[in-house]
Amino acid sequence: MKQLYYEVKKCLGCKSCEFACALTHSLTGELFKEINKEDPSLPRKKVLFSKGNNYPVSCRHCREPKCVDACMAGALTYDKEKGMVLHDESSCVGCWMCVMVCPYGAIRPNIKTKLPLRCDKCKDKDEPACVSACPTGAVIWKEEA
Amino acid sequence: MKQLVVIGNSAAGISAVEAIRKVDKTSKIIVISDEDYPSYYRCLISYYLAGQVREEKLLYRSESFYKENNIELRLNRKVMRVEPKRNRIILEDKSQLSYDSLLIATGASPKFPHLAGIKKRNVFGFRTIKDVKEIEKILPVAKNACILGGGLIGLKAAYALKKRNIEVKLIVKSKQVLSQMLDYKAAGFVQKKIEENGIELIFGQDAVEIIGDGELKAIKLDSGKVIGCSLVIVAKGVSPNTDLVKDTPINVREGIIANEFLQTNIPNIYTAGDVCEGFDLVLNAPSVNALWPIAVEQGRVAGQNMTGQGLKYQGSLGMNSLEFFGLAVVSLGIFKIKEDDPNFEEIKFLDEKQNIYKKLILKDNYLVGAVLVGDIRNSGVFLRLIRERINISSLKDKLLNENFGYPEIMDLVNQKENLYV
Amino acid sequence: MADIQAKSIDLASQEALRKAREESIKTSWDRLEVQKPQCGFGQLGLCCTVCNMGPCRIDPFGEGAQEGVCGANADTIAARNLVRKIAVGASAHSDHGRDVVHTLALFSEGHAHDYDILDLEKFKSLAEELGIDTNKSKEEIAKELAKRFFAEFGKQEGELLFLKRAPKKRQQIWKKLGISPRGIDREIVELLHTTTMGVDNDYKNLINTGLRCALSDGWGGSMIATDLQDIILGSPQPVRGKVNLGVLKENYVNIVVHGHEPILSEMAVKASQDPELLRLARENGAEGINLAGICCTANEVLMRHGIPVAGNFLQQELAIITGAVEVMMVDVQCIMPALQNIASCYHTKLVTTNPKARFPGVLHVEFQPERAYQVAKQIIRLGIENFVNRNKERVNIPKYEMDLVAGFTKEVIFQILGGRYRATYKPLNEAIISGRLRGLAGIVGCNNPKQTHDYFHTTLVKELIKNDILVLQTGCSAIACAKQGLLIPEAAKEYAGKGLQEICEAVGIPPVLHLGSCVDNSRILTAASCIIQEGGLGEDLSDIPAAGAAPEWMSEKAITIGFYFVASGVYTVFGASPFAVLGSKNLTNYLTKDLESFVGGRFEFCDDPLQMATLMIEHIDRKRKALHLRPLMYQ
Repeated sequence: MKQLYYEVKKCLGCKSCEFACALTHSLTGELFKEINKEDPSLPRKKVLFSKGNNYPVSCRHCREPKCVDACMAGALTYDKEKGMVLHDESSCVGCWMCVMVCPYGAIRPNIKTKLPLRCDKCKDKDEPACVSACPTGAVIWKEEA
Repeated sequence: MKQLVVIGNSAAGISAVEAIRKVDKTSKIIVISDEDYPSYYRCLISYYLAGQVREEKLLYRSESFYKENNIELRLNRKVMRVEPKRNRIILEDKSQLSYDSLLIATGASPKFPHLAGIKKRNVFGFRTIKDVKEIEKILPVAKNACILGGGLIGLKAAYALKKRNIEVKLIVKSKQVLSQMLDYKAAGFVQKKIEENGIELIFGQDAVEIIGDGELKAIKLDSGKVIGCSLVIVAKGVSPNTDLVKDTPINVREGIIANEFLQTNIPNIYTAGDVCEGFDLVLNAPSVNALWPIAVEQGRVAGQNMTGQGLKYQGSLGMNSLEFFGLAVVSLGIFKIKEDDPNFEEIKFLDEKQNIYKKLILKDNYLVGAVLVGDIRNSGVFLRLIRERINISSLKDKLLNENFGYPEIMDLVNQKENLYV
Repeated sequence: MADIQAKSIDLASQEALRKAREESIKTSWDRLEVQKPQCGFGQLGLCCTVCNMGPCRIDPFGEGAQEGVCGANADTIAARNLVRKIAVGASAHSDHGRDVVHTLALFSEGHAHDYDILDLEKFKSLAEELGIDTNKSKEEIAKELAKRFFAEFGKQEGELLFLKRAPKKRQQIWKKLGISPRGIDREIVELLHTTTMGVDNDYKNLINTGLRCALSDGWGGSMIATDLQDIILGSPQPVRGKVNLGVLKENYVNIVVHGHEPILSEMAVKASQDPELLRLARENGAEGINLAGICCTANEVLMRHGIPVAGNFLQQELAIITGAVEVMMVDVQCIMPALQNIASCYHTKLVTTNPKARFPGVLHVEFQPERAYQVAKQIIRLGIENFVNRNKERVNIPKYEMDLVAGFTKEVIFQILGGRYRATYKPLNEAIISGRLRGLAGIVGCNNPKQTHDYFHTTLVKELIKNDILVLQTGCSAIACAKQGLLIPEAAKEYAGKGLQEICEAVGIPPVLHLGSCVDNSRILTAASCIIQEGGLGEDLSDIPAAGAAPEWMSEKAITIGFYFVASGVYTVFGASPFAVLGSKNLTNYLTKDLESFVGGRFEFCDDPLQMATLMIEHIDRKRKALHLRPLMYQ
């Protein structure tokens, strides 16, 4: 199964992946419209800086996901075949247990929608939006090593 | 054929049987529950009462789960006694059940204080789906409710009732809410939210009597004040359900004491979940940490060890997460220290306007606790720093930065990354 | 090939794009694809690179930073970024104007022998307007004019001379708001000053300073450029011409002039008819020399000489891709850096001429007004000598060309409507008053590969003329509509509403009037002032039932033009993506709502040409209502 990797040295911190992520998960799909909404779609990925490098941070779809254990509402499940953590928004109550236990800080709370912001690998698309959004090719979409 | 018995059908029990069935498809597994409801997401009961979660969403494991995994489920059966010497348990109906290996995951029950009238109708605990269904029944005629206790359960009950348009008063003995997870400052933000949303808080007072002839009418506080109400929820904490091991050789303090394999002092008896008194990583001492994610973790380890895998459980710590009228709060490990205690160091950030308060507690350059209000990002990273006991002397000034995150601790944690994921 | 149809509605461009694809040559459309997604912060105006504490970015989703290191918020950052563009746009037009004054000065001193005063009538009336004694010699008058106009750039106090051309009421509005420009250079410098770190932090004040700077372009630099070019090179008269890539000729030496300043290209026109060079061309195997233009230079030589137009902004690369261009000579503005690379794929020689605009490694033949004709001849000779290098197998000129009529100026509109001897705007005003004409629209601006090339211009213009709105055009917008056959008198019958049709047929004009290059937008301002002077349509420019639009804009100059139109009271619609301001709700509201209450004009952002037309028509109808004009005759 395919996984997102990052060539950190290539990341310039432009945050194009953040924008692409927010917009691809929005209803409008348009930046100008989306930012004027009361609860705009927020990026599920954040580029953070540390010691001279930029690191896109998003859900890694751990094989033993702590968030799935922690979910007290049954909204999170691990799909072995797809190799990813699935989130059922209709079951989620916004208790933030997943945020509390994610060892990578890769899940953020969206307070307005009461839903956690987490990468879903753009599940209905061929490849995640951040891949083609990256101007330097730092986001890599390839088979898991 | 071996017979594995699991007492308790919630997070720890289910997690244990799942772990067992992963490696052992043949042993007989019997799960016993004193509730008559199939396994459900206990933490959702307040959301259910609030009308935000439908009943079918409560179901934790469906009936087919037990069939598919060849598990015998016995509902509505209370275990009265464990007899370790005979490797058997005695049920309420005096029937007996023998085991090769036993897991006690009996959970906990609300503490009911000894005060006059506490047995009256319409005085409830807030633990089970049964509690909630009974509360729901009287909602059409109830107007106002008093909740005894300002802990998480009390707050959740208050929130749910408020959502159902019941007038709610929260009676808190101490000077703040959530005194078991937050410091005074952090509690202040939560209290503000509570009051903004029309729930009345009464601090420093405790109920002394529940008044009414048969029907509940009011409660009387130690200040002499009498508050009329048609519904009382008692939320003054829970105590582990250890009655079944009373007068047995099984060691009990607050909960049933477990070693690092989540074994009791009797080798073929294990314990997990809210009844289990395991090792607390932060306190460096045994403690009961009753929380859903911990129960799931412990259940898994206990289950694995019941199949002889001999896995060590690294220990738990007190933690919790809460979302209250749009305010997110997380508490990890030690949340409060004595003023000017030289053994600890505090790092704080406060933005009253934005309702953000963050406090980290360090001891000897190790993170031992955190309170996060309004901005709970990276709480999992903090949890990791606590759990993995990472020396953070090089990071101290960065921890509360807006852009702090996993990349900052990458080279400190015990994880090799060839390609950054 | 559906994707090529989405790139341009122009068949010639489509064919050239297909050729480019076959030959693996990348154009602006391809480069845009590689640029995608374009930076969201940049699109919203939320990236600040003003000082070295940054670059700073404001999070438009509200989660992250809401202020830069210095504390500047979205409003300040977006406003500063925007008004810097006004300053740049104004500097481009005004510097162009300055160079024309320079040529006039050289002429007056006897140093620019290749030039003369070709429109004496306008020369004298301008001298009179400025109170210069017209009994003096041509050179002396020219000297005095040059001195006065040079002073317009360096003036510190008072106000620009041409502000007096505006209606009284408009002048009062400017004065009251303190936005009457004093000196052209001063306004640009002052605006830039306000945007440096830690000066103006009030987005409203920044915009007001921007309005003043923009006015110094429209009623200053650009207007000076237009008037002096008319005087030196002759005022345009209605002229027939041809447009689109098909004007390039297979057996001729094709010289393409591209850029903005007509002072040199005028000489190229002359040199292309030079007998010596024509002979040389024949000796090199060509049938002759074919001069064609791109962008505003094209409009300049078209207006004055009927020189064919090879295309608008997005066709500059395509002209070379035909494989039939020997020389593309360029001066300043809108010249894509990509030309160098594209030219290197063919035999085409790219020649730069202006010391301000050079490419590393590209042949530079510097233009000097003192030896203008010589320089022009030298460049054309390069083209002739390059003809033998043309690879005939790679030549493919799309066979699309269209007729057009251009050369409408403020003066010409007088004449054709009122007759040469009693020139007047009365018939125009009366047409509007009587409801035969709904109103006027100025449709101007660039191309932008983000939009289907030419589609917005032509769709909008067709919709407007259908609704009896007379359309005035300049720049690449005019070329777009010309290619679609909207700039011939016959277009009235096919596309115009009945009222507009009657007028066009009566005086024999197209429903869409070509007024020239981008600096010639100043012609629209003077024409509008004449309309107010004629009477019956209010007291101020903002009273006229008129609206403006730049449907496919891309240049900073377009922003400046937009601002001087709005500052002159015009409702102005911008297509493509809006200015990079949407990251600030306050600034967006200020531009699209608040401004109208005190300058009379405001901006509108719209990305659908039909919707744009609706907005403009609604605005024109509101203005008609306010003036209590008669109901429309035919709608």
